[in-house]
Amino acid sequence: MPKRFPYVEADPMLGPASALPYAPITLHLGDRSAHVSGLIDSGSTLNVLPFDVGIQLGAVWDEQSVPVRLGGNIVETEARGLVLFGQLEGFSPVRLAFAWSRSNRIPVILGQTNFFLEFDVRLCRSQMFFEIAPRSSLGS
Amino acid sequence: MTLAELLPALHGLPKCEKLRAIQLLAADVAREDGEMLVPSEAAYPVWSPFDAFDGAATLMRMLNDEKAS
Repeated sequence: MPKRFPYVEADPMLGPASALPYAPITLHLGDRSAHVSGLIDSGSTLNVLPFDVGIQLGAVWDEQSVPVRLGGNIVETEARGLVLFGQLEGFSPVRLAFAWSRSNRIPVILGQTNFFLEFDVRLCRSQMFFEIAPRSSLGS
Repeated sequence: MTLAELLPALHGLPKCEKLRAIQLLAADVAREDGEMLVPSEAAYPVWSPFDAFDGAATLMRMLNDEKAS
């Protein structure tokens, strides 16, 4: 069954103009976890993790050996690959690979690789909600 | 408060605040009408790494390697 989430208005002054699909998600690394709001971003080719969230999860920058090249506005930001478990309330945890960024100026981004490979998403912006379901469980 | 009472204060605003007031009021009216205006002076960051295909391939490899090990 898909789970429905409301769009979040990021700026009260701008109201609906600032509404974005942020999903509450718990990220796990070993025995550490962080509950964050992840921006569901179909325009992002990959998942991105801000630096401080990785630190909160106990990740050590110097131990991550795989460089990941970013793009868009954050093309100049250094990033390294980090595999976590992510759990949306009511669903089983799944492995999510993140580009762990050196920057904190970005939100947690849930993008095509591999959030959209694990979950099916239906964006209903005109009705201010979106739905997420484990892959292949939304109507085909 | 009436418009007549507000006008002297509005006339006394500096130019940039007058423009801001116009934009806010226009957005209010549009919102009441069920429409939406996007204030032109606001910044709209686009963080999406929309073209990080190399990076996406790297993450896929990491997932596959971890699965295989």
